Amino acid sequence: MIVRPRKEDHLVIGKYTGKVITGVGLLMVVPMITSIVLGEWDTVVDFVISIAACLIFGFGTQLLCRTEKDLSWSHGLVVASGSWGMATVLGALPHWLSGHEGTYLDAMFDVMSGYTTTGLYLLQDLDHVSYGLNMWRHLLTYAGGQGIVVIALTFLFKGTAGAYKVYVGEGKDERLLPNVVQTARAIWLVSLAWLGVGTLALFITGMALGQEPVRAFLHGLWVFMGAWSTGGFAPQSYNTMWYHSLTYEVISVVIFIAGSFNFALHWAVWTGKRKEILRNVETVSFSITLTLTVLIATFGLAKAGVYPDAMTLFRKAFYQLASGHTTTGFSTIYSRAFVTQWGPVGVMATTIAMAIGASACSTAGGIKGIRMGVIFKAFMQDIRKAISPESAVVRAKYHHVHDVYLEDGLVRSAMTITIAYLVLYALTAIVGTLYGYDFLQAAFEGVSAASNTGLSCGVTSPGMPAVMKVLYIVAMWLGRLEFMSVFALAGYAVSIVRGK
Amino acid sequence: MRHWLRLVVAFVLGGALVMAAGCRAQGTPEPSPNTPSSSGLVEEPKKYDGSTVTFTGEAIGEVMVRGENAWVHLNDDAYYLKNVEEGAQLGGYNAGMPVWLPAGEAGKITTFGDYKHEGDVVTVTGEFHAACPEHGGDMDIHATALEVVQPGHRAADPIKPGKAVLAVALALLAGALFAANRVWGQRGEIAPRVRKG
Repeated sequence: MIVRPRKEDHLVIGKYTGKVITGVGLLMVVPMITSIVLGEWDTVVDFVISIAACLIFGFGTQLLCRTEKDLSWSHGLVVASGSWGMATVLGALPHWLSGHEGTYLDAMFDVMSGYTTTGLYLLQDLDHVSYGLNMWRHLLTYAGGQGIVVIALTFLFKGTAGAYKVYVGEGKDERLLPNVVQTARAIWLVSLAWLGVGTLALFITGMALGQEPVRAFLHGLWVFMGAWSTGGFAPQSYNTMWYHSLTYEVISVVIFIAGSFNFALHWAVWTGKRKEILRNVETVSFSITLTLTVLIATFGLAKAGVYPDAMTLFRKAFYQLASGHTTTGFSTIYSRAFVTQWGPVGVMATTIAMAIGASACSTAGGIKGIRMGVIFKAFMQDIRKAISPESAVVRAKYHHVHDVYLEDGLVRSAMTITIAYLVLYALTAIVGTLYGYDFLQAAFEGVSAASNTGLSCGVTSPGMPAVMKVLYIVAMWLGRLEFMSVFALAGYAVSIVRGK
Repeated sequence: MRHWLRLVVAFVLGGALVMAAGCRAQGTPEPSPNTPSSSGLVEEPKKYDGSTVTFTGEAIGEVMVRGENAWVHLNDDAYYLKNVEEGAQLGGYNAGMPVWLPAGEAGKITTFGDYKHEGDVVTVTGEFHAACPEHGGDMDIHATALEVVQPGHRAADPIKPGKAVLAVALALLAGALFAANRVWGQRGEIAPRVRKG
């Protein structure tokens, strides 16, 4: 029997959703200040409207939904996914007001892409957008990478027991420290330390490459945000090809690979356990699958004779594949070049890399290395069982911060989410094909959206059918929150109308 | 079942409203001045690899000087004469080509396109590389000379009065709700827990 939510349930969900949206409104102050400093007055007005809309929703719901009840697990999941949905609707206001989006749906697509650290976009004439709007695009992806709920946890929640349930609802389940708010702050500590060092490195390189100081700083900051959050947004339409620099590429690769690692791994290294990098199942899995996909792409590109020498070939192949595998979406080739230069083998290798993705509890998307590792270990365990004497006890373990023995529940959980991802990938590919796109290209783009990567081979465009835009928005949302929270929100909607 | 139907109908109507309300009027976007255009070069890189092309476009962003040469980026998209702030029709993504040329030639460009500027429209002639061996496999044009066809200008984007009024009204409402929340909204908050030592 489905139980209809009671008034208290609506109140607690409304209250905490309001808090998260208030946080989104406060986040918009940063791009507004950027526009004030740089004299972009029409953009300032856009942000005043948008901030006010968020605060009206946030304060309004908190005023209407006064309750002392704390969050339950289902509330946490609904608040996490509901907040992302509402934050997308209201966060799209600056995009829409800028006049650079064809429809409000396009604006919501870009914002969901930002929050989910995907990097696909439908914004038109990016090369003429204001610094304020560019700051908002990149801040969205940086905040989305840490988790907008993490932001709210850090600044707006006052240590409620239910806070952990919202945190888990956002697709994160590592508790680095005993208290979830402390964990959220630890994530910020690591991220802000990287922000300082990464931005400085890119700023100095940008200056050396011939950029003016202000542009070098802003580009450094934004490229860092795009890399660290594995978001893939860049300030120019040429993406990272804009810089024509090996140094810039190397720095961005280091940042996005670091950004794709599990926060628990970062915390282990931060607290002195450096050997964890070499032993962790996710880094081992990532190294193996990245090497394999780079080899496949290199083989295809060498055979087609696309690049003039081996060094150039490796540079291009490694950058796009590492970017795809970490679900970043930075690219030093044109989107259409995946089709017109790389061909089917290159497209296939990149699609596989994107589908696997990087680490759990990070800013990255996709199936995740830990699930690949668990499934592989379980597979090997079954083979060992089959060839061992009946009386033999075969146990397998993997290392993730500490040694974990494989249990059926763990394997089933990994398989369930993996199958959910595969179904989503297939659905986006089939719908794209039904709309007349080549299957391989539709699969590339669908996997890119659902794994929150953001590489494009040209399918995503403002002229894309609205149904595909909606499907990609949902795919990005499902992929980032790893299904359960969005399913909980759907269940909540069903229980309102059908519950007893 | 009726509840289900109502939910589905409300969802579809709401979605349609969002899409319809958000649609901007579309006109005819500015076509590329080039044959082949940058999109044409990207679509058929092998066909044009090594050939001499004449390419016209808006200088975007900045010049990046590297020794005796420099990088500029020329856009030949729907916004190369007028950008969105000046009322250009939305015509899809930006499109263009990176150009590698002598720094002295690049110095002829005085205005680069960004939010506040429409950049100089310039023409270059040079060799197209599908995967440049000198520049890490980038697709680019190596030019020797540059001509400014149309000087750039400042692109004004004044505050729209309607938006300003809306901003003030919404800000006042947000302020009022903040005050109301301070007065009445705290009653439902959970008291901070006291740690027992």
